[in-house]
Amino acid sequence: MVDLTFIIGGPQGGGIESAGQIALKTFVMKGYNVLGNREYQSNIMGAHSYYTVRVKEERPGSVRVPVDMVIALDAESVFTHYKDVNPGGFLLYDSGTVNSRPERIASMPKPLKQRVVEDLKSRGLEATVAGAVKAAEDAGVKAIGLPLRQLLKVVAERSKRPLSSVSKTINTMGLSAGLYLLGVELDYIKLGIKAQFAGKAKVIEPNIIAAEAAVEYVREVYGDVESLPDGPHKGREKMIASGNDLVAMGKLVGGLTVQTYYPITPSSDEALYLERHRYYELSEEAREALGLEKAGIAIVQAEDELSAIGMAIGAAAAGARASTTTSGPGFSLMNEMISMAIMTETPVLISVWMRAGPSTGMPTREGQQDLLHTLFSGHGDNPKIVLASGDHIEAYYDTIKALNLAERYQTPVIHLLDKYLASSMISIDRQEIDPSKAVIDRGMLVDNPGPGYLRYKITEDGISPRARVGTTPMVITGLEHMEDGFVTEDPVVRDMMMEKRRRKWETVSREIPSEEKYKYYGDPNPEVLLVSWGSTKQIILEALNQLQEDGVSTGFLQIRFFNPFPAEEVESLLGSAGKVIDVEQNDLLQAAFVIAGYTGKRIKHAIVKLNGRPLYDTEVVYGVKRILETGEERVVVSGGA
Amino acid sequence: MARSWLEFKTDAWVQWCPGCGDFGILNAFHRALAELDIDPSNLVLVGGIGCSGRITYYVKGSNIHSLHGRAIPVASGVKLANPHLTVVVAGGDGDLLGIGAGHFVAAGRRNMDITIILHDNAVYGLTKGQAAPTLPSWWQTKALAGPNLQDNLNPLLLAFASGYTFIARGYAYHTNQLKELIKEAIRHKGTALVDILQPCPTYNNIMTNKWYEERIYYLNEEDPEWNPVITSDLDFKEKAPRILEKMVEWGDRIPLGIFYKDLRKDTFHTRLEKVMPGYMKHPPATRPISVEGKPIADPWTVFKDRVVKKPE
Repeated sequence: MVDLTFIIGGPQGGGIESAGQIALKTFVMKGYNVLGNREYQSNIMGAHSYYTVRVKEERPGSVRVPVDMVIALDAESVFTHYKDVNPGGFLLYDSGTVNSRPERIASMPKPLKQRVVEDLKSRGLEATVAGAVKAAEDAGVKAIGLPLRQLLKVVAERSKRPLSSVSKTINTMGLSAGLYLLGVELDYIKLGIKAQFAGKAKVIEPNIIAAEAAVEYVREVYGDVESLPDGPHKGREKMIASGNDLVAMGKLVGGLTVQTYYPITPSSDEALYLERHRYYELSEEAREALGLEKAGIAIVQAEDELSAIGMAIGAAAAGARASTTTSGPGFSLMNEMISMAIMTETPVLISVWMRAGPSTGMPTREGQQDLLHTLFSGHGDNPKIVLASGDHIEAYYDTIKALNLAERYQTPVIHLLDKYLASSMISIDRQEIDPSKAVIDRGMLVDNPGPGYLRYKITEDGISPRARVGTTPMVITGLEHMEDGFVTEDPVVRDMMMEKRRRKWETVSREIPSEEKYKYYGDPNPEVLLVSWGSTKQIILEALNQLQEDGVSTGFLQIRFFNPFPAEEVESLLGSAGKVIDVEQNDLLQAAFVIAGYTGKRIKHAIVKLNGRPLYDTEVVYGVKRILETGEERVVVSGGA
Repeated sequence: MARSWLEFKTDAWVQWCPGCGDFGILNAFHRALAELDIDPSNLVLVGGIGCSGRITYYVKGSNIHSLHGRAIPVASGVKLANPHLTVVVAGGDGDLLGIGAGHFVAAGRRNMDITIILHDNAVYGLTKGQAAPTLPSWWQTKALAGPNLQDNLNPLLLAFASGYTFIARGYAYHTNQLKELIKEAIRHKGTALVDILQPCPTYNNIMTNKWYEERIYYLNEEDPEWNPVITSDLDFKEKAPRILEKMVEWGDRIPLGIFYKDLRKDTFHTRLEKVMPGYMKHPPATRPISVEGKPIADPWTVFKDRVVKKPE
């Protein structure tokens, strides 16, 4: 069974992400499933970034360290990752950097410099790349120096281009040498390059030459390697998409007609990807049925998040299917409008891509710290739908679902996502995002409201027919109001309207099926029950398999809806397990707080990750075993560079 | 006249203080809408918070009473979703130029076909008389504990700098002239500002009706040649200095009328139609999004850029 993980690292702006994507495409064409994750800093150029690729026959659920290979394109990458390679794995480095010292690398964080110098000193090694390579070799790693400067000259010569114009192929050289060592044939590497730079012949050519030169070199110094067999999915059409992409896809397929946003990491890429496809071709069946060739999504970059959500609400009031996208800081600014959307009963989807806070925190790093923030957002009593997707595919379908729920219940829906989902990519099969599985439900949207229309008509289920603003006289208002929307502070009407909104919320709670609100995996009545939410799902599922193999009976409760919350179900599941362990990437144990509020049950143990890097399956396994052994309440894991 | 202004009256009690300038604005607005023959069903009046925002209950329309400072974003969303509607924003100077100033500026960059009615009385009325952004420094209106320490801003200049294509100023009690300004603003294709000077008889004891009447005059009455219409860059170069001179005039004499009407810029909906032909015919508010409850797009054809295929 193939299960390979490797890292390619280098300076931001040095093509690390495109190298990662070439790798993903290469392995997909070779017939495997892939998971790629990009770790980067809040910086445009020069800071260290790295891409992790994991390759399996089945979809990999987690990235992890240690890895089978590190391709370090510069000295900083060696210093950052020399301890991340498994014994027997490879460390590829630029042999031109052997004398580099941490203190001379301006971009390298001071605390890391200090740690590296101390570590190498303690091993009796000098604090240089050569020393770090030696440390890796001492740990059983095969280190291979690549003379990247000399190889560049070869590429320049062969492609008859100046050295400066081929310098951007360094990433391809490193990657190709590494892929060769993993047993990937040069032909596949070339296919990956061609797929990545499709349509750009001038970019493809020097990159192909670079790949050839690098593979020639590494074959000469290392010798032949056993080829990696083709995977079981060879020849199958697949997509490779990030969570950002999939949410944009869900919005488009889900019939979104207006999207607003203000730039913020890690949400912007969703808006940009949607914008790239805002004017799209209808499917053949839809073309025939509607007599329409193309449809558009009006996308506006607003002046701030206050405006972004205000515009989305205005558009929704006028009958658009509307959403906005943001991250924690932007959502802070949206709070007042969330409350208005609830009072005015306006459907709007807010995709919230969480990142590591508080405050600006670590804008490009992972965090799950905005559960309570979103759940309790806005002033006044104001229940809103809050759901968290567990993985990429869920994110796609949940987006469509969230658009439906927003319109059906005329309410804001907060869709929680995070940085790990945003910038990690997976390979996807056709049937996994099948449009026939998607349903579009606009609830009580009425085209011809007729005379005497009441926007806030009192109904049994609390839901009033929704006419579009601009089709009949009405008032939509954030003030307390009568059925016709006119403002009032009459105590009797106030009670009636509070009651109407409460009934609507009961309808929401009742109609969203229990099996949507949470998922249960693993052993019934397990020895260990892991409770978590959001992007940790696949990571925990992978850990669950390992724990079961290791003889620990394990279950996993994934909470998907925090409002409406499946209180009874969760309460009974918590009671069915031996030891319950909460797994979250926030310090306050926010999901456990919500669970305690709804069920009265305090979860006593937690595995927590706060360092801004995604959780690894290996860390979950470690955490569980540690809690079982020591009874510790809280295990903080901290893998990742 | 196709409609009576009574068609725009609602049966809500108008809760403004006796003598409030808002009554003049309401009267002028009612009559402007009637004379423009706008169907109340297709009128969307978006109010902010403050005394002025209550106008959303007093004008028959398909209205939204939004949040303090956020009327412009909400109105922009409505117009974006349905460019065929008549969209008007009503807000005070605290709302539009204080808490909502960022939106006031950004609106100029889009030139959406929206009319902004600025109820400009230099005080926060509904919160009992604090200084608003158009109250000059060192003035002390009656609810203030001391003189106002912050300078006033000039709404006309701010609109001009922001790119508004129609800029006018009226006076709340001159309802006939004001009605005409509002009509011109609504007719204008693009973002239009009508800055309406209005006494607040309850809290602004300085800028009273008498104070205004001693100062205001109409641009086109003083200068029959006054022509604020800009049709070309050359036109702009020639007229801009005089327009700016009038915009900054304040104190003993305060000009009213249309200061600026720029016909050079596309509206936002025209821009969208250019990048997405069909937008006007099937705007976001009404375009089909499904066929029998099923999506109209196939991700595998739309998102080809994410499909991995062996290159030929």
